[in-house]
Amino acid sequence: MSNVIEVKNLTKSYKEIKALNDLSFEVTEGEILGLLGPNGSGKSTTINCILSLLKYDEGSITVFGKDMKPDSYDIKAKLGVVFQDVAVFDELTVYENIDYFCGLYIKDKATRKKYVEEAIDLVSLSEFKKFYPKKLSGGLLRRLNIACGIAHKPKLIFLDEPTVAVDPQSRNSILEGIMKLRDMGATIVYTTHYMEEVEMICDRVIIIDKGHVLASGTTDELKRLAKIDEKIIVEANSFDSKYIEEIKSFKAVHSADYKERVLTVSYKEGADNLVKIIEYLKKNHIKYSRVYSERPTLNDVFLELTGKELRD
Amino acid sequence: MFVHNFKYSLKALFRNKTLIFWTLMFPIILGTFFKMAFSNVTSSEAFKAINFAVVEDDNFKNDEVFVTVIKELSDEDGDNRIFDTTYVENEDEAKELLVDGKIDGYLVMPDKKDDTPGVTFINNGINQTIIKNVVEEIALNEKIGNEIGETIVKDEMAKGNFNIDIDGIYEKVMEKMSDETNLLDKSANKLDYSMIEFYTLIAMTCIYGGMLSIASINNSLANISQKGKRVSVAPTRKLVTVLSSLLASYVIQLVGLALLFVYTIFALNIDYGDNIAKVILLGAVGSLAGLAMGLFVGTVFKAGENAKTGILIAITMFFCNFAGMFGITMKYITDTKMPWLTKINPVGLITDGLYALYYYNTTDRFSADIINLIILTLVLTAVSFFSIRRRRYDSI
Repeated sequence: MSNVIEVKNLTKSYKEIKALNDLSFEVTEGEILGLLGPNGSGKSTTINCILSLLKYDEGSITVFGKDMKPDSYDIKAKLGVVFQDVAVFDELTVYENIDYFCGLYIKDKATRKKYVEEAIDLVSLSEFKKFYPKKLSGGLLRRLNIACGIAHKPKLIFLDEPTVAVDPQSRNSILEGIMKLRDMGATIVYTTHYMEEVEMICDRVIIIDKGHVLASGTTDELKRLAKIDEKIIVEANSFDSKYIEEIKSFKAVHSADYKERVLTVSYKEGADNLVKIIEYLKKNHIKYSRVYSERPTLNDVFLELTGKELRD
Repeated sequence: MFVHNFKYSLKALFRNKTLIFWTLMFPIILGTFFKMAFSNVTSSEAFKAINFAVVEDDNFKNDEVFVTVIKELSDEDGDNRIFDTTYVENEDEAKELLVDGKIDGYLVMPDKKDDTPGVTFINNGINQTIIKNVVEEIALNEKIGNEIGETIVKDEMAKGNFNIDIDGIYEKVMEKMSDETNLLDKSANKLDYSMIEFYTLIAMTCIYGGMLSIASINNSLANISQKGKRVSVAPTRKLVTVLSSLLASYVIQLVGLALLFVYTIFALNIDYGDNIAKVILLGAVGSLAGLAMGLFVGTVFKAGENAKTGILIAITMFFCNFAGMFGITMKYITDTKMPWLTKINPVGLITDGLYALYYYNTTDRFSADIINLIILTLVLTAVSFFSIRRRRYDSI
């Protein structure tokens, strides 16, 4: 598989702040690449630089093997973008909005009509063709936003947090649609804060923060980077601090935190840990409602790599 | 691509209720209120001849045009009476009458024929504006008459006729002047200065059309809106999207203006004079100026669409004030004290153009207004295009 995007040593500053710092990565044809990072990490800036909307200080960007410039109309014709904020005309119906944006790429009316109908089907908006955006719910609006960005059947699609503020049903429908697009041959760059989405749809993930790459790989590869191997969750109405201190001293325990009636015990190694905890609870007559084991999630890795301090 | 973008821009703009209200409905509503307000004023206050004095020295007596026209405009039994004229022997007498409040202004003819006749006032107001405008027009028509006379003499000499018939030429000049000018048509019935308010209303509508170009430009530029970002990543030239959107805005502007003309002419009985083609031309050029004004506000100011629309409304009302929308006196003060403002005030230029078409049958003043509007449009458009020429942004 060839590289559809190659970003090399990309640097971009906003006055004193370095938004992108020597950022390099590639996107391979046919994959869904998850671009992860906390707020202000440089995800949207990276996409806007690739799209040639933003100037950058140093580095190079090639898309489909060519330098990306504002007048690279041949490259732009193969791109589809779904921005973070909904960008549709309130005065045009669902059908007209999709037709308008599709028409910026596809001149032939018959082809366009077919593509618009297909996009409407893909995001399940057939019943709402004649609706104006103001009459649509948040989820339907997001689906319209996606349809406007992909109706022209682009080969490379950028989806910048397309599921923000969307209910689980709509989110599921959107994610299924994105996987369909990949299956139809499109390459997708996907940014989100939802780790379960990344685990569900992304073939590869890049975690960036402060404008540079912290880690990259498949979700399994990234999980292996975590310092912990297993988490034991104990749900209990109360937990004496002396027991927590004792648990912390167990072999292979990395940390133990009791918050909101849940004790989370993280282990560096995972063998018989659940059995040992249950025995300890029984021996000390500690009442609990549930106890179970979990593998580390991408979220754990993400927090480990980017830190737990609050961002904007 | 141009047609596609034009079609959808037109659709989106026509369905934007806020824009349609401000650009199409609001001027009609305001015009109706004007009519209601001014019909009461005009029915309760019949036109009263203006107290005016003329220094009847040799300079005045030797100027047949001024003597004839002032006499005609002061004739108690005539249809054209504007002035209640007192003839005095010298300027001191005239000054005394002015200071005593017995007259609103007086005229002193210059020693040199080409110099501008002197009109003196103490106060500013509607009567003073009328005096100034009438004297200016007489002088202008006299100049035209002289030029026509010169042309006739030259024509006769070119034909080899060196026995010039002075009386015949005078008659021909007067005949031509009556065709080309309407000096004596300035009857009291026609001097309805509430017309200025309606002219400023037309001008305001032209400039309010800028709201449409603000909306259009907002949808086309990546650094202004999300829709602009989406349009900018498409394989379409920025010039094509911007121009097609602006054309859609212009079409709606013209539709709005046409509706306003139809409504004011047929429902409100507003008279725009006989030269309706030139009135339409002025409206079309004025709308272009409005479009350019909106383009300028939309691209130069960094703010949201609502804030930009607010800025445009504020600028328009500022210009409307100086063009005389809220009182003719302000137009007079601006014309005399701040002539530079009149030249850069699009509302003032459109108002003045309509006024010139109605009161003067000569086109000098109208043409000057049109040229100034075109210059203003070109300058605003050039500045706007300069600011949107960037293809990549520092931040969005």
